[in-house]
Amino acid sequence: MEAEPLLRAIDVGYRVGERLILERVSFELRRAQITTIIGPNGAGKSTLTSIVNGLIRKHDGVIERAPGLRIGYLPQRVYVNTLMPLTVARLMQLTRRTSVDEARAALARTDVEALYDRQVRSLSEGELKRVLLARTTLGQPDLLVLDEPTSGVDITGEARMYELIGELRDELDCAVLLVSHDLHLVMSRTDQVLCLNRHLCCSGLPESVSRHPEYLALFGRQAADAIAIYAHEHDHVHDVAGHSEEHSHA
Amino acid sequence: MLEWLDDFVVRSILAGLMMVAVAAPMGCLMVWQRLAFLSDTLGHAAVLGVALGLVLRIEPIAGVLAIVVLIVFSLQRVTSLNNALSETTLAIISHTGLAGGIILLGLFPSPAISLEAILFGDLLATGKADLLRLLVAAVVLLTLLLMHWRAFVAVSVSREIAQAEGIPVQRTQFLMFLMIALLIAVMMQVMGVLLIAAMLVIPTSCARLFSAGPEQMVGLSLFYGLAALGGGLGASFRFDWQTGPAIVVSATALLLLSLAVKRALDGRKV
Repeated sequence: MEAEPLLRAIDVGYRVGERLILERVSFELRRAQITTIIGPNGAGKSTLTSIVNGLIRKHDGVIERAPGLRIGYLPQRVYVNTLMPLTVARLMQLTRRTSVDEARAALARTDVEALYDRQVRSLSEGELKRVLLARTTLGQPDLLVLDEPTSGVDITGEARMYELIGELRDELDCAVLLVSHDLHLVMSRTDQVLCLNRHLCCSGLPESVSRHPEYLALFGRQAADAIAIYAHEHDHVHDVAGHSEEHSHA
Repeated sequence: MLEWLDDFVVRSILAGLMMVAVAAPMGCLMVWQRLAFLSDTLGHAAVLGVALGLVLRIEPIAGVLAIVVLIVFSLQRVTSLNNALSETTLAIISHTGLAGGIILLGLFPSPAISLEAILFGDLLATGKADLLRLLVAAVVLLTLLLMHWRAFVAVSVSREIAQAEGIPVQRTQFLMFLMIALLIAVMMQVMGVLLIAAMLVIPTSCARLFSAGPEQMVGLSLFYGLAALGGGLGASFRFDWQTGPAIVVSATALLLLSLAVKRALDGRKV
């Protein structure tokens, strides 16, 4: 494998009062890899992303970050005020000064450069999501943390979003940590799956996770089959790279 | 020294200018964050502050500041300050403060303070000490606004994004509430407690019609505020209207005019 991971979580846990939210979760995030967290509602997915990007500091266990690690973060629910006049250009400048070139380049990455001068309140849900995704790429991040980036986007838009996320990974050569419900769409582009239900049920390549009994208990046979289809595509890529022996069990 | 300040006209104009300078950016932030009703509440409750100031023999403005900060603190405790400021809670605070203040003022009448001046303001009676207070408050508020502007706008646009990108949302919001308290305490003198909210809301509503961005909206609010001040002072001197109400009425006239212009412009574009 490659050198040091960008981020290493070791036995991460979190509780609110008596209530256990997360328990002994460990994983590694590596450059150019897409890691997807799946799990039922209340599994602690968003909590885990907040811990990864440092918004929650008081947790058990350790998060080791590569020195100078830059994170771009898209929270799950983002409410953008429509009462105020605001252009996309100004939105790109919201929390830090950004040059026009940099802002335009970021928007171009998600195919929305044309929206630069538009009022934010006039954007469709899908357009806004892409603008927000573009914002996370400002400042050359090493890691993108995207919490359900496709909520509120229609099904075709959704597929395109995941395509874009794959392109961002290639272009920025960054790690991506994704929270998702859309098992079907997500799996084809994922290098590592973390199946979470307070604790880490199982993790690894999509096809191996899909056979894990805990995964099957959570998501059922149908979901596993959906992954198996994509795992096939995955095999193909690996064949080209010459690692087909990895998948002899398929 | 400063003999030119002996002229009450000069004093009123200066006081008006300083008020407009802080009301424009503060008003924009409050409108963006749907806090206009809060300014009304704090204004009404400030009457109780004035009365307490009289009873306790401290500066009325200190009484106002104390009561307004107290309300802000308790609101912070009761709610999480963001979206939970229910109209009911605010209305109860507002009118209890007003009622309590009026009772106290009736029990402890003072020749120095008229209820009418408290309710509607008395710009033309601005004294040198008032002017100094306004100046200090304006400098404090404008400095804080400049220092934290990016954070204030970010929190107004999206608490989620601001939080995700490292802006201390709760602290920023709390600072803004304290600033609103200070703003109410000093604007009271000029506009009167009943009309403060008007000065925060009407010029900003005019500005919103023609603004593409937040900073532009502040600039235009400033312009509209100045125009309303000019119109109000003019009407006050010429027709002997009460100054505060005259400023509000001219602001509303500007709003109607702007709406008409906006309509004409939009119609032409189509």
